[in-house]
Amino acid sequence: MSGRVRGWMLAGSVVVAVLVVATVLILLAGADPLTGLQGLIAGVSSSPYRVGELLVGAVPIAIVALTLIPALRAGVFSVGAEGQVIFGAIFATAATLGTAGLFGEGVPAPVYWVIGMVSGALGGAAFALLPAWLAERWHVNIILSTLLLNYIAAGFLGWTLRTWLASDENTATPQSPQLPEASALPDLIPGTRAHIGVLLIIVVAVLFEWWRRTSQATRIGVFAERPRLALRLGTTRARTLYGTMLVSGAGAGVVGWLQVAGVNERLFNSVSGGVGFSGLAVALLGALLPGGILLAALFFSALTAGALGIQSATGTVPSSIADVIKGVLLLGVAAVAGVTARSGAARPAAAPPLTDVASVAPDGEPTPAAASVSAGTEERS
Amino acid sequence: MSIELWASILAGAIVLATPLVIAGLGEGFVERAGRLNLGIEGMMILGAFVAVFVASFAGLVAGLVAAMLTGLVLAALMNLVVYRLGANEIVVGLAITMLGLGLSTYLYQLWVPAGQTNVSVPTAPKLDLGILTDIPLIGPALFGQSPLVYGALVLAIAAWAVFRFTRFGLQVRAVGADPTSAALRGVRPRQIGAQTLLIGGALAGLAGSVITLGSIGAFSPDITAGRGYIVLAIVIMGRMTPVGIAIGALLFGFLQSFSLLAQSTAIQLPSELYQTFPYAITLIVLVLTSRAALRRHLGRHVRSKPGRTQSLTPA
Repeated sequence: MSGRVRGWMLAGSVVVAVLVVATVLILLAGADPLTGLQGLIAGVSSSPYRVGELLVGAVPIAIVALTLIPALRAGVFSVGAEGQVIFGAIFATAATLGTAGLFGEGVPAPVYWVIGMVSGALGGAAFALLPAWLAERWHVNIILSTLLLNYIAAGFLGWTLRTWLASDENTATPQSPQLPEASALPDLIPGTRAHIGVLLIIVVAVLFEWWRRTSQATRIGVFAERPRLALRLGTTRARTLYGTMLVSGAGAGVVGWLQVAGVNERLFNSVSGGVGFSGLAVALLGALLPGGILLAALFFSALTAGALGIQSATGTVPSSIADVIKGVLLLGVAAVAGVTARSGAARPAAAPPLTDVASVAPDGEPTPAAASVSAGTEERS
Repeated sequence: MSIELWASILAGAIVLATPLVIAGLGEGFVERAGRLNLGIEGMMILGAFVAVFVASFAGLVAGLVAAMLTGLVLAALMNLVVYRLGANEIVVGLAITMLGLGLSTYLYQLWVPAGQTNVSVPTAPKLDLGILTDIPLIGPALFGQSPLVYGALVLAIAAWAVFRFTRFGLQVRAVGADPTSAALRGVRPRQIGAQTLLIGGALAGLAGSVITLGSIGAFSPDITAGRGYIVLAIVIMGRMTPVGIAIGALLFGFLQSFSLLAQSTAIQLPSELYQTFPYAITLIVLVLTSRAALRRHLGRHVRSKPGRTQSLTPA
């Protein structure tokens, strides 16, 4: 059996697994799987509005995913996109409202967009810098620091929306004041929520394709496998950590701005809405199959929209079925990647490396975590 | 702040620390064997749901057992995908977490459709040792808890004993420290690793059930609120030893209990500060312990260099 046939069979088995799980879940709810399928299709494609929703959902996920790729390739496992989206959104909102406050009416729209985008990127990057610094300086595990910082970001946003960025209006849910009209991104497809900001994905995708061909991308790939060799090729641990984290932070921050300026035109507590975690999942799916990120992001967005369709078609199936399917899908694709990598059929560079750079010491020696394992053993034996 | 408030902060700290201790001990085994279970959050929350669901018709003990089995099944799935099929440990851990969060929400919404009142079950009864429980400040915290709390204590002692005295504990440490030489001496790293992961999964499921059956008596989506990740931080902070993990869990439990109850007092600080306080402190302690680990690592490095004898550097 050739590697290609084997690969297709494995991919097919993931699809079958997803379908089986979805069918079982729908049957559990006492509904007809075919009705569910019709609902799924209707939820995604029944009107231009739904198609617009698909884009609005997919683009933020895809941008987060694409900008996370350098970090994942380098073995910098950042789970902090949620928090970085939040900080990007806060910075962008504050800068936009500040500009309006300073210059009043008459600021042209493009100026607002540049200010919003740049400050969003700065906010996200600044918030990504902290875990990068902690990992570089003190070898703090980057998975844990970014996870913890997500909670801190959520708390900061809650406080922000109650205090210095709170709306003057008397509202039930905490929110910022309405952004000036000129700063809002105009609709791309009339009658939908799809705004011209979704075109940004093209820019990010082009930048990503360019980056993929640079020597820096190669060095980062080498770094994940052999930090010492990467040093000879001219990249250090610090440079890799800061560089990749700043890129992912800036990407997530821009998404924060997109969500504020494009969708709600206000800042809400729900601004990140799981985009960060979905972005990570999509990056992992896409990193395993290069070029598949846009597809995976569209699929994730379609699942979310389609699950609402399933819910309204069947009446009994909760829309959280989408989250279960996303989990099964990620599990299945990870398994397939493992099997193909093991049998040597896959392109090894495509798979995210196993090492966690946060625990790789500068000289490529055993990690502090591993060291503390052996230290513990010594103490006790 | 009055003494009654401090007494309830301490009692709350122990309640909040219990699931962290249980899941942390399990993860201690996993990490000692050189593995990482990033799916704890998913195992905990699915365990938390299954516990309430089963307890609602079969009683408390059945709920606890079912939660352990739930964690066990998810851990077995993780073991299969990561260590048999060769998938990435971190990716699969996140996938298990997504699966657990999604499945618990989905099944809960099927069981209690939107608009219906939540199902609640009786929680584990609290102990009352009479005179001991009446000791001011520490009485309710130490002698007025549910049996689950004392169960966690027993578990911590058992885990310590396993590492200290048993062959299995030694094998786990050997596999984690150097799988190749462990294998040369007849230890099977895969088998030991799988066993630790199953222990970790079962304990994570149990920890989830302690959250719901120990104090709340009902499930709600996202009830674990990231505690599975806190467990991972606690295990690093506690350097993977049962005693260290228990201390780390108690510290986090105390901080969370303090921030929950201090909000109601005269200290006027933004409520978000209280909510993020435990996470921020965890991060700070994580930084401090990572730094110490790095120091130790570098220190050992210096010691092992030729030309220097052991006696020149302090132990």
